[in-house]
Amino acid sequence: MRSAGDAWFKRIAFAFAASIPVLLLAIIVLLVKQSWLSIHTFGAGFIISSVWDPLADEYGALPFIYGTLVSSIIALIIAVPLGLGCALYLSEVSRSKTKEYIAVMVELLAAIPSVVYGLWGIFVLGPWIANVVQPFLRSIFGFLPIFQGPYSGLSMLSAGVILAIMVLPTITAISREVFNSVPNYLRESALALGATKWETVKIAVLGPARSGIVGAVILGLGRALGETMAVTMVIGNRPEISSSVFAPAYTLASVIANEFAEAVSDINLAVLIELGLVLLFITVVVNGIARLMVWRLTSKVKARP
Amino acid sequence: MTRNIKEKIYLLIVFAFTLIAVIPLISVISYVFLQGISAINWDFFTRLPVPFGDPGGGMGNAIVGTFIVVGLACVVGLPIGIFGGIWLALYGNNKKGFVIRYAADVLSSIPTIVIGIFAYVLIVLVMKRFSALAGGFALGIIMIPTVTRTTEEMVKMVPRTLFEAGLALGLPEWKVIMRIIFRTAWSGIFTGIMLSVARITGETAPLLFTAFNSMYWNFAVDQPTATMTVQIYNYAISPFAQWHAKAWAGSLTLMFIVLGVTLLVRKFSRRVHYG
Amino acid sequence: MDDTLLKAPDPVSCSDLSERMSAHKVNAWFYEKQALHGISMKIYDKKVSAIIGPSGCGKSTFIRCLNRMHETVPGATMKGSIFLDGKDILSKKDVASLRRVVGMVFQKPTPFPTMTVYDNVAAGIKLFGRISEQKLDRVVEQSLRRAALWEEVKDLLDKPGMGLSGGQQQRLCIARALAIEPEVILLDEPCSALDPISTAKIEELIHELKRNYTIVIVTHNMQQAARVADYTGFFLLGEMIEFDVTSKIFTNPRDKRTEDYITGRFG
Repeated sequence: MRSAGDAWFKRIAFAFAASIPVLLLAIIVLLVKQSWLSIHTFGAGFIISSVWDPLADEYGALPFIYGTLVSSIIALIIAVPLGLGCALYLSEVSRSKTKEYIAVMVELLAAIPSVVYGLWGIFVLGPWIANVVQPFLRSIFGFLPIFQGPYSGLSMLSAGVILAIMVLPTITAISREVFNSVPNYLRESALALGATKWETVKIAVLGPARSGIVGAVILGLGRALGETMAVTMVIGNRPEISSSVFAPAYTLASVIANEFAEAVSDINLAVLIELGLVLLFITVVVNGIARLMVWRLTSKVKARP
Repeated sequence: MTRNIKEKIYLLIVFAFTLIAVIPLISVISYVFLQGISAINWDFFTRLPVPFGDPGGGMGNAIVGTFIVVGLACVVGLPIGIFGGIWLALYGNNKKGFVIRYAADVLSSIPTIVIGIFAYVLIVLVMKRFSALAGGFALGIIMIPTVTRTTEEMVKMVPRTLFEAGLALGLPEWKVIMRIIFRTAWSGIFTGIMLSVARITGETAPLLFTAFNSMYWNFAVDQPTATMTVQIYNYAISPFAQWHAKAWAGSLTLMFIVLGVTLLVRKFSRRVHYG
Repeated sequence: MDDTLLKAPDPVSCSDLSERMSAHKVNAWFYEKQALHGISMKIYDKKVSAIIGPSGCGKSTFIRCLNRMHETVPGATMKGSIFLDGKDILSKKDVASLRRVVGMVFQKPTPFPTMTVYDNVAAGIKLFGRISEQKLDRVVEQSLRRAALWEEVKDLLDKPGMGLSGGQQQRLCIARALAIEPEVILLDEPCSALDPISTAKIEELIHELKRNYTIVIVTHNMQQAARVADYTGFFLLGEMIEFDVTSKIFTNPRDKRTEDYITGRFG
């Protein structure tokens, strides 16, 4: 016996729930509509052009796409080994109480506001990178073009390092969950064969965890691609494609942050919104792949008798 | 013998990486504390910003502005998140539910600055003015996926027997849901809400061209409004040491709020994950 | 009942008996909770020793002490001494080489899920230094033959181990344990997850294996102990109530509690 009140409650709750896909659709439709001027004017050439001159109404997205991808890749190169090491410590090595504190600390890294990372990046990390890291890299790998050119705290490398710190909690937390989802009897089987801790991880843990780890890495990538403030504050904001990671660069999110409120013309605004659309597209695809991989792993483990 | 060495190298690497991972946290917190504490005083919380060169001044309006914008975000985000989550938990085991869950997942992966563009197009362009409303709307959307997900999970954890016991008392279903199920799940839902409030309090990017900024006290939601994060950003990228000090002080205040809420909430509930 | 050691079977009547392992006053804990109280027991070479008892009696904990798997569980500690060929295994630092001599098979079949049948058997051997491909092939085949699995899987060697049936998976795990050439094999309720036909195959296999190996089996199934074991120990609430020749335990137990258990009065 359903009362009228029940029917209404259900309807209202559904209206709120249904507003989520409606919002998502509205975001995509409105962004396409508002950037239509730019899409229409520049076409596909927009993506591959590297000229950026708002005053002359010349726009190309390539330097930003390049900056976004390269800074995120640098972040992954640093954060993946650190995050996996951390996750191994938390789930496989440590049994002591300290591990809970470490876990909280790594989680807190995710709670620090982006703008605070940016401030710290400008005054602490940037100078350290320019004075210590870059000279060190050049002294050893100086024959590589990516480690040449003048030292600079505001650089692609700084952006990569700060992004690495920001995605580290994501990679650590998800890898840790993935490791924890590996059933304990596999570890015991390896130990019973006389395996050391490392060998146990190698033969019993990494195999089943593989696709989950890839998922964690890609989720980290998704986060790095869309990160705005900290990167904007340390990357130097120069729309050029340089072969050196010591040089300043620019990302999709950064150029939107810097120029949106001061767009000089309708077409300029449309271009910036199209950059937002490109960023939206990249992150949604990357996150979709990651979720699929994590989901496939967890469903496989659950399917075991 | 080499097996032993490999094992030692493995342990060494794992310890070293873990150590390296926590260094940034310690560095950020100690810099913010040491640099911020020296620039913080009572005026900082109560006064307006002053032009460069004038002594004193504070961030009072930005602190108030942050509360206004976050409050607006809650007005936008909480009803959708909570009722959406309840609907998903109780009636969402079907195709509609799948679509909504999927949409929430996609929404959570959209960069916040893109959400800012959406709020700009929808509100700022229409009102022809930057406003706290636009900023709150953007932050509200950012809250939705987290709140929806925690609400759904928490409501699902309430045992079905409780639901049936409520119905057996002769209460209509919706009253059982709101009075018994929702209340039972509330502490978990509250945890999710607070974590997501902490997260949006630290957001900057979507506010840059929605709430924008202001040098004055403002309590009207249709006017440009200063927030702590945007103010910190502006001070940080300025060339003046005096303003840099303000940026550190602002960061200390912000971190105190954000980390404080996060830690407190964590202490009371260890189940909910951040982000 | 404390001096169970003295009640071991009469050595005169079985002159081929030699002691392989022995436990002396073994106590074990999980955090504060004591799981084993002063267990003393002898394990004879090339014989099957069974440990029976109701669930929670500590039989699994005890067998896991014998290759020091017990201590891998968080909060688990133990005291006492366990000798293997006269040497105390608890004072040894090198746990890996102990586990190489004392192999173990678990309750559920636990093949490594991402490995093939071949790699599963080879997983243990590869840990102990480089080995040529031909030699590895030989060891894998030999181990699978000893585990009575070769005929069934010789064409499936490069297929995932998880693809085999439950009984085959369990014999695969036995093959994996045999491949590292242990001398003692610990079987922790190896048939509890298997159907009767697979169980019969494993029991048959145990009969085969005892010609070359010393076997300790934990089981909750008394008939199984009666069928496969030469010696049987009865555990209750973390204590060993009785240890004797299997036929004696089942026909003429000394302790009232053993009698109650095997006649089905509790447990």
